[in-house]
Amino acid sequence: MPEGILCNKTPINTDEQLKLTLSDKGGKQYYEEMNHLEVDSDKLWGAIQKTMKSRTKTWLEICAHCGLCAESCFLYQVNGRVPEQVPSYKIQSTLGVIVKKKGKVDNAFMQMCMETAWSKCTCCNRCGMYCPHGIDMGVMFGYLRGLLYSQGFVPWELKIGSGMHRVYRAQMDVTTEDWVDTCEWMAEETEEEWPGLEIPIDKEDADIMYTCNAREPKHYPEDVAEAAILFHVAGENWTVPSEGWEQTSLSMFAGDWECCKDNVQNVYDAIERLRPKRAIGTECGHAHRATVIEGPYWTGRPDGQPPVPYIHYVEWLAEALRTGKLKIDPTKRIKEPVTLQDSCNYVRNQGLKDVTREILSYIVEPGYFVEMAPAKEHNYCCGGGGGFNGIGIYRPQRNMALRKKMEQIIDTGCKLVIAPCHNCWDAIRDLEEEYEIGIRWSFLKPLVIKMLDVPEHLLPKDE
Amino acid sequence: MFKKILLATSGAPSTFGAARVAFDMAKRYGAEVVVFNVMGVPTKAFSQVVNDVRTGEEIEVDDEYRAWVEEELKSTFQKQIESVEFSKIITTTGVPHREILRAARAEDVDLIVMGASSGDSSAYRKGYPGSTLQRVAKAARCPVMTVHRETASYWGGFGSILFATDFSKQAESAFKYALASAKELDCDLTLFHALDISGKVLDQNAIEDELIAARERIRATYVSQMGDFKNFDVEVWEGVPYVEIVKMARERSADLIVMAHHNRELDPELARIGSTMEQVILRAGCPVVSVSKPDKV
Ligand code: SF4
Ligand code: SF4
Ligand code: SF4
Repeated sequence: MPEGILCNKTPINTDEQLKLTLSDKGGKQYYEEMNHLEVDSDKLWGAIQKTMKSRTKTWLEICAHCGLCAESCFLYQVNGRVPEQVPSYKIQSTLGVIVKKKGKVDNAFMQMCMETAWSKCTCCNRCGMYCPHGIDMGVMFGYLRGLLYSQGFVPWELKIGSGMHRVYRAQMDVTTEDWVDTCEWMAEETEEEWPGLEIPIDKEDADIMYTCNAREPKHYPEDVAEAAILFHVAGENWTVPSEGWEQTSLSMFAGDWECCKDNVQNVYDAIERLRPKRAIGTECGHAHRATVIEGPYWTGRPDGQPPVPYIHYVEWLAEALRTGKLKIDPTKRIKEPVTLQDSCNYVRNQGLKDVTREILSYIVEPGYFVEMAPAKEHNYCCGGGGGFNGIGIYRPQRNMALRKKMEQIIDTGCKLVIAPCHNCWDAIRDLEEEYEIGIRWSFLKPLVIKMLDVPEHLLPKDE
Repeated sequence: MFKKILLATSGAPSTFGAARVAFDMAKRYGAEVVVFNVMGVPTKAFSQVVNDVRTGEEIEVDDEYRAWVEEELKSTFQKQIESVEFSKIITTTGVPHREILRAARAEDVDLIVMGASSGDSSAYRKGYPGSTLQRVAKAARCPVMTVHRETASYWGGFGSILFATDFSKQAESAFKYALASAKELDCDLTLFHALDISGKVLDQNAIEDELIAARERIRATYVSQMGDFKNFDVEVWEGVPYVEIVKMARERSADLIVMAHHNRELDPELARIGSTMEQVILRAGCPVVSVSKPDKV
């Protein structure tokens, strides 16, 4: 069988196919079909010739096999430091071989590549900082994932994930209607305690267009309400788009390049339609990477920038606290040891390490913030990045990967972890569930709301 | 006033008390019942895996599982479903309080009935604080009835309602609901205020004065709105409010306690200590209706 009904080279483009794939419990049939999937070597080699940039070629060639990258990879560290987890080995034994063999590889080899690409690398880009040549496996694995995806060798959940993006333009089945309705609902629910609060939809020429992660309207709409409260208290002129509100990109982790472009274009179209002065994304690392860091290249924007300045939530929050748009009541600051998870996707990938610490300087009583070691751009992945969190068959490997973060947190002695990234938040939650080390974790928004010094005129009248 | 009731249930025995009250009420007052079940709490990022609400185990929700849960609910409540103008079963996954609120809004129900414990696993509470009940009671547009135990005094009809007020703005809505229920169900209504003297040192005279003032306040605030409704009395006691409310309910053989919910605190620990309502629910022998919004009263 060259191609299966569920496992094949065609992306999921219809609701029907999506539901069909979803109904395959645990991807049982999907992975069974994968065993018979044929590798189209010509197409694979053709794709490599067309898409492999000189940087990747050079990287593959100049690697000195010195092994200096080994210790840099948290997966190497937590997996008994076996040679199979050395970053250079991981990429040379997969992408390196495919290139060398000009795409003439078989099914078993492709499945090994899939396992390596999605369970032995989270695209955290840490190794690239330690290689004397700056060779970055995170980037190369991203590229390899694309090749694997185009041949149908992609974990079931990520095939679905990018299918969701294709069908709903969101990582979950949230339609435009659901989204708009959720915003109205949250405004209704929140305005009582915050008189005058609105969630304006499709307002043109606002100062801020806010975008988020589909998990928020789907499961945690209070995130949307919390953003609204903070914009409201800060007196911002803001809006959300009815279309183009979803900023995440599971397609980026799936290697579905075409879909990546389509999604981010959808967000940029909203910007062009509503003409905000700038855009602000929610507390999500990979969403930021997708729409702000990689997105401009996917869509071919000549300046490598989104249509308007597009900042991460931590940048806005730091600014609002710095300029006094938001004021913290000093008596309500955090007075217990607290640590911070630096999200690779906006700290290592964009250098937002200082603004996050600036925020902490406003909300944590001096002396209570404890850095993880290492921290900032040297921080390790939470353990669930790059799609790892959601992939069922790699659950044991993911749970093992969480151990690095667990050690780091235990070493700080903190019981509270601030994680301004949805995926890190999830990983830390799972980490507590798996290892029960007795910690709590939080996004920034709810913490800040609790500490706000709210101006009199914004408070409800009769209480 | 009870046209459509949302019964939030996990299908577990701890919710049978709530189910019985919901169906009995529906039968008596000709209401529809929406049986609502949150199968699991989402976990593992974007995957299809959820934590089963009842067992805490990881399950994968697919059509087959959905159908199985629905079938279970149907057979669990089969007799009761047959006895009323049944509406439908809705199953979903998500964070329980959110999904209950979402469904109540979408179905435009007049009352939410639920058990006091929904079985949400502690791991999720830590990240998103607030018990299911606290959060539903806080945000629901309609009254929320909680049935903590297989109710001793309630046997399919309401004879006596206790309205406990703290004179807040929300208590105004709770009062309207209590009065309308008493009229419609033709029962006795006790208007009650528990003067909070916990942690205070007051001499007896001061307490007496405050008790008299509270009585007057009840008459001025509520009795003035009651028109020709005569089946009521006014009581004011001092003590720790939840204790006094529960005692009063027992003394009057109340079948229903109505009170306002306006606790802004969502941290579960703080809310628990601070919330009179939650304490009443856990200790009272009858269903408790909490009202926080004026919309559906
Ligand atoms: S550090 Fe760089 S050069 Fe050395 S083995 Fe790793 S990737 Fe190759
Ligand atoms: S990108 Fe991260 S996970 Fe991948 S090999 Fe490098 S250090 Fe390891
Ligand atoms: S999940 Fe968080 S820590 Fe892990 S790779 Fe992504 S951003 Fe980095």
